[in-house]
Amino acid sequence: MVDATDAIDLDDLQSLIVFRRPAPYWGSFVLARFGGAAQGRAALRGLVPHVVSAAEWGAGRRNLSVAVGLTYEGLAALGLPAESLDGFPVQLRDGMAARASRLGDLGDSAPDNWQSPFGTGSVHALVLITADSEALWRESLAAAGRAIDEAGLQILGRQHVAALAGARTTFGYRDGISFPNIAGLPESPFTAPERPIATGEFLLGHPSESGAVLPMPQPDVLGRNGIYAGVRKIHTRVAAFRSFLKANSQDAAGEELLAAKMVGRWRSGTPLSLAPAADDPSLVTEPDRLNDFTYADDLQGLICPHGAHIRRMNPRDSSLATLADPRIHRIIRQGAVYGPALPDDVLDDDGAERGLFFTFMSARADALEFLKREWIDDGNTFNLGSERDPIAGNNDDDGATFTIPARPVRRRLRGLERFTVTRGGEYAFVPSLTALRWLADPEP
Amino acid sequence: MSHDSSIAPKLEEIKQEIDQALPNASQEAKDTLLGGVEAQLRSGQVEPGTTSAGRVGSRAGKVSELTVIAPLKPGGADRLRSLFKLMNGYFGAADRVGTVHDMRFVFLPGDEQMLFATAFDGDWDSYIDDFATQIPVEMDLLFSEVEGWPGIHDPSVKDFIVEYQHTAEGWYVASPDLTVADTRRAQKKAEIVDELLDKVGSL
Repeated sequence: MVDATDAIDLDDLQSLIVFRRPAPYWGSFVLARFGGAAQGRAALRGLVPHVVSAAEWGAGRRNLSVAVGLTYEGLAALGLPAESLDGFPVQLRDGMAARASRLGDLGDSAPDNWQSPFGTGSVHALVLITADSEALWRESLAAAGRAIDEAGLQILGRQHVAALAGARTTFGYRDGISFPNIAGLPESPFTAPERPIATGEFLLGHPSESGAVLPMPQPDVLGRNGIYAGVRKIHTRVAAFRSFLKANSQDAAGEELLAAKMVGRWRSGTPLSLAPAADDPSLVTEPDRLNDFTYADDLQGLICPHGAHIRRMNPRDSSLATLADPRIHRIIRQGAVYGPALPDDVLDDDGAERGLFFTFMSARADALEFLKREWIDDGNTFNLGSERDPIAGNNDDDGATFTIPARPVRRRLRGLERFTVTRGGEYAFVPSLTALRWLADPEP
Repeated sequence: MSHDSSIAPKLEEIKQEIDQALPNASQEAKDTLLGGVEAQLRSGQVEPGTTSAGRVGSRAGKVSELTVIAPLKPGGADRLRSLFKLMNGYFGAADRVGTVHDMRFVFLPGDEQMLFATAFDGDWDSYIDDFATQIPVEMDLLFSEVEGWPGIHDPSVKDFIVEYQHTAEGWYVASPDLTVADTRRAQKKAEIVDELLDKVGSL
């Protein structure tokens, strides 16, 4: 057992780790490249004062998150010694494009089809900004831009995100609901009803669930209180998704039920487990109830299918077909929408780019690869054979199925498509503020 | 056997390879081997039966093999013999793992090394971290007699296993597309169907 009282210095953490995205929101992912070590360090000195800490967030500064992540190429460009660089996990050293087969980024999602600059090895730093007003977002983006410009950095891309009506995803679901209960970090109304998970599953330098401290780059000042991030730009094929719902439902209510069975939540965010037959909009006004459920009364998946997206990603107390510890596969998931909504009732693809920018964070650098490979693109752990996640899975083949347990017999749907396509991604290290200042030091 | 014209040149090539590689085999043995190759070509199977399972090891469909030959601590073989005798064939943790088709522990002559061989579902290192939180005692009990075993909690444990792992050069899997979970489910379904048929038959 891990001591849950392991003291965490919240001043040292970037607030991205504890941030709960406001609604509505505006934001940007700025991708930049250092000209050299001195220039990169100067840029970090300019950026650090803008980074919001977890302590500030805890003290009420909840309208803004400005965070900095560094790719392995970026850390190398800053002139880190080999012994520090070698301590980064293979995911960072090789980069997300090189890990495509482990992430199932094949076919349309393959790095050859990614949008530049993703996967080119040219991205050194990512500045992630989210604000609760358009004015604050523009102000923060401009301030970060000035810091970058003053250091003479090359900006490779600015990718903007903004909430759609009702803060829904492009598929129409409310998102950003589930958040792991991390020992030592501020609680959220959305925290799942679980024992606090060992801090070291998320922050480097602290004991993990097994009691061991996970490997981290050295020296201590660099690694401690940092976290690994996988940033992903995911295009959503909304028209295909709507067509699938329609083709497999009798009426509009049936479409909503199927949409809920696929995700495990009604589009309002209400979990099926708390509202099995019909959406219960009253729950939406009580955010502390949206995650307050287990699967103890639904071991057969008659309410929430075993293959539903949220049950796959966090099986909670489900009975699994293989030995797995869901507590060590929890991730912090920050998502934000890019692109326009597809107008209601449109069933034909309009060719527009729309989807989500995700930042998945864990102290286990392979967390994202594990979830994608084992729990999204396979069903063995859930006793579903090769069946994949109906939303995020690579459902390209004609035989792809989605099973909905029911009495007297289960319903098995065919005709799934790949509703999500990877447009790009980068692995990054999100250092502590101490580490950022250490990295920014002109005389390391 | 009549040779299809499209595969005849390929067969002739393989026949020469066989003659060259196996000079001591009887003509009958070589013909049998060639017959197997021909059957494979005619069946249209172009993919190899096994592929790499990652860093080391082979994979056939959903099933992978792991073969480790590791040094034992002095007296370790005897202590493990006692352990296996006490376990009496009961591997409860392996049952819980649910991806292990079989495991064998063999002491090589001289008792200085142990051969551990297993067939299991998926990638071998995916769930090692889960073993560290779920069955650490069982893992360490079985492998603590291995010289240098770092402990299942140690992050270096994957590298340690790879160091002593050898890829099987020849390996056969009867049902490469069935995982342990698939097999258990199929067995349960068969029982249910049989029960149904019994009831229908007795009406």
